[in-house]
Amino acid sequence: MAYGKTAVLRGIDLSMPRGQTLALLGPSGCGKTTLLRLVAGLLSPTSGDIAIDGQMVAGPGLFVPPERRGLGMVFQDYALWPHLSVAGNVSFPLEMAGVGAADRETRVKAALDRVGLGAMALRSPSALSGGQQQRVAIARAIVAEPRIVLFDEPLSNLDRELREIMVAELGALIRGLGLTAIYVTHDQSEALTLADQVAVMEAGRVVQLAAPEALVEHPASAKVAEFLRLGAVLSLTRNGVGWSYGDRALGVTGGPETGTADLLITPRALRIAEAGSAALSGEVMAVNYRDMAYAVTVRLDAAAPAQTVQISSDTRMRLGERIGLEIVSERLRWFPARTQAPVQ
Amino acid sequence: MARAHEAVSPSVVIAAAGLVVVVAVPLLFILLQAVFPHLGRGSLAAPFYALAGALGDPKLIGMTGNTLLLGVLVVALSALIAVPLAVARALFRVPGAVIWDVLFLIPFMIPPYIAVLGWIMTLQPRGYLEQVAGFNLAPFLFSISGIVFVMTLNTFPVVYFAVSRTVETVGSRYADVGRVFGASPARAFWRITLPLSTPGLAASLLLVFAMAIEEYGTPAALGGRAGFDVLVTAIDLRVSDWPIDLPGAAILSLVLVILSFAAFLMQRWILTRRSYEATTGKPQDSAKRELGVWKIPVLALFAAVAVAATGLPLLAILATAMSRTISGGLAWSNLGLSNFEAILGDSTGALKALGTSLSLGVAAALVTGILGALSAYAVVKSKVRGRGVLDVLTILPNALPGIVVAVGLILAWNQPWLPVTPYNTSLILLLAYCCILLPQPVRYATAAFHQIGDNLEAAARVFGATPLVAFRRILLPLIAPSLLAAMLLVFAVATRELVASVVVAPVGVSTISTYIWRQFEQGSVGLGMAMAFLTILITTALPLIVLSLMGRRGNLL
Repeated sequence: MAYGKTAVLRGIDLSMPRGQTLALLGPSGCGKTTLLRLVAGLLSPTSGDIAIDGQMVAGPGLFVPPERRGLGMVFQDYALWPHLSVAGNVSFPLEMAGVGAADRETRVKAALDRVGLGAMALRSPSALSGGQQQRVAIARAIVAEPRIVLFDEPLSNLDRELREIMVAELGALIRGLGLTAIYVTHDQSEALTLADQVAVMEAGRVVQLAAPEALVEHPASAKVAEFLRLGAVLSLTRNGVGWSYGDRALGVTGGPETGTADLLITPRALRIAEAGSAALSGEVMAVNYRDMAYAVTVRLDAAAPAQTVQISSDTRMRLGERIGLEIVSERLRWFPARTQAPVQ
Repeated sequence: MARAHEAVSPSVVIAAAGLVVVVAVPLLFILLQAVFPHLGRGSLAAPFYALAGALGDPKLIGMTGNTLLLGVLVVALSALIAVPLAVARALFRVPGAVIWDVLFLIPFMIPPYIAVLGWIMTLQPRGYLEQVAGFNLAPFLFSISGIVFVMTLNTFPVVYFAVSRTVETVGSRYADVGRVFGASPARAFWRITLPLSTPGLAASLLLVFAMAIEEYGTPAALGGRAGFDVLVTAIDLRVSDWPIDLPGAAILSLVLVILSFAAFLMQRWILTRRSYEATTGKPQDSAKRELGVWKIPVLALFAAVAVAATGLPLLAILATAMSRTISGGLAWSNLGLSNFEAILGDSTGALKALGTSLSLGVAAALVTGILGALSAYAVVKSKVRGRGVLDVLTILPNALPGIVVAVGLILAWNQPWLPVTPYNTSLILLLAYCCILLPQPVRYATAAFHQIGDNLEAAARVFGATPLVAFRRILLPLIAPSLLAAMLLVFAVATRELVASVVVAPVGVSTISTYIWRQFEQGSVGLGMAMAFLTILITTALPLIVLSLMGRRGNLL
């Protein structure tokens, strides 16, 4: 897939089994929405091919238009037709599929009831709140029992609290109906919650395709780890059998047989210790209350440029307090050293 | 309950005073004159005497019928031409699409009274068509069909641009969604694109209707021989030919205002209640379809319309301007620049007319720019009481045809008891242009103000700015780009405005338009067309130069 000289997507090779959810996760501009629109048939690829259910829908000299791909789709901006009522919007895919009026009515009602909007059928979409509009869009996407439901950042226009409720609802819906779904998002928690497989994308490529737990346990690169916000990545230099961070010997072993390496330290890989004796020490920079515990940000000593790590603590620490940190070796992830851009 | 406590800002006071002088006074005097026939003598005697008589007058009913007929026919023909072109342009890959757009923009740059003179030169007996093809279409041109034809060529771009833009946004945003849910392209068009585009189409057609019933030049130039009178030409007759009939003119003006106001209110109602164009989210690129076998017919249609609307009138104007004598016709030996030499030599007062119009155009742009910005501010941003009245005063000129503004100004400023009056000075022209064109800056500035969060101004006040300083340092720079575009539009239209200029221009003062009009009446068509050509050049080029200096694309729509 290319626009002019800039290739938007390169070397993408994905397949997904029926009844599963694939999340396309990546920062904005990485090509995930373009990939989704290719699947939908709203764009056509310049090279390569796409097959749904074993049937080729796009390839050299072949392009099946969107209406003959049997899809449902939920858009970031909802894209409800403003001249149709809520029921009219949901009924549209059934009409297009030639479903009879009586059957249509029961199925529209069932779909709206499923998203909790049965009472709103005759309203105009513009009279609904953002969350309700998105529920209508979801009802519209599932009512005709499509082969695949495409989700294009469906929750990014909603506020955080509503987003968390909707993630849970969507998860129940997808599993309850056994939907085959492709879910585009830039929010790693949505992807990890909803998907069976997550494709992490960067600059038009899939950099890692894995199940959520594998992704968290074994990120393919330091960059993936950082994007998933798994923890801090420290650049280390080899010191005999061990490793040093700046001028500090860390007392960890393992890692690649190279002079330098990157190390992912998740909050779970750190233990709080006495400031004097521990391998790492630092100063408490920020304390956030999160999920029944305190998320503590610590700025490490002996780090240039400044480097912070996150740990979790049951007690509230004072800002500016000096603490020590021990590294739990078996929970570490090693990566080959990246060439780091000089920091000004 | 907290209440916004604020002294009335000076900008609101200036806006209110300006709106009263520019808009309220002329309209008020039309109403007064229609009710009190002896107003001109400073008497309020015999109220409603003339009104009652005039409204039953079969001539008035006939002229109103003619006006409505003209409006409806122009609307119908505009839709017939513009809608297919616009749909093709919006949904299909039309080769040279941008070039067609530019060619369809040019009719906006040619005032209809100039275009109609071009058509007369082409279609009249022994005109260019007869010289080239051996026959003339004078009977067609000097009839209601001819009037409708020429006016449609000037107005159809309004519909074309409105519809192609609506269909394009609706097509990519909503119709594509329909296709994902199983609608074929044709069904998506009928079920989604068309219903969603109808409000935009209806609004643009109502605008065309208003333009058609307000137009003076075309019916004046073509209708006279056919005995086809409309309200505008009849009003002109009553104020400029003996016996002057001011009460009659006021009553006809009132009828015209009611028609035009009804069209305007309907348009506004459609756009606020029924328009779905407000888009959120990022615009999405959608692939346009290929025309296939329709490519050649569609291109032929685009080309035919472009030739008729832009090519022929421009060529006729140029040919006439470059003819040494009209009787010499289309011949190489007759070609010359003598008309342009005469204009630049100022032997006929042409340069003076140019200077008058250009300075009036600049002045009108400045006055309407300032007044428009202040009025839009008062209506959108201030919490002042009575801003509803200001809102109405800024909207009213939309429904005031140029001829009505002119009549209102005469009635207001020609009262015998006035100690000083702008009447019979160039100032009255400035007042007329400002009233007619005020809606442009107001519309642009209002839209711009709506996009500025209230907190930007509040922040300036918190950090120590007075209301006027906050307006000048924060709000004005933010709306400046839109306002400038509107002011350039005002300049371009004001410098060549015809109807108000013909009616209120003081004795001995010529504007570009009255110069051209007079040359045509006197038979010096070549001089008139040379002036017209220079005018089109100047009023198109100057705004474009300013815009490109500002680093903006020339989007004067």
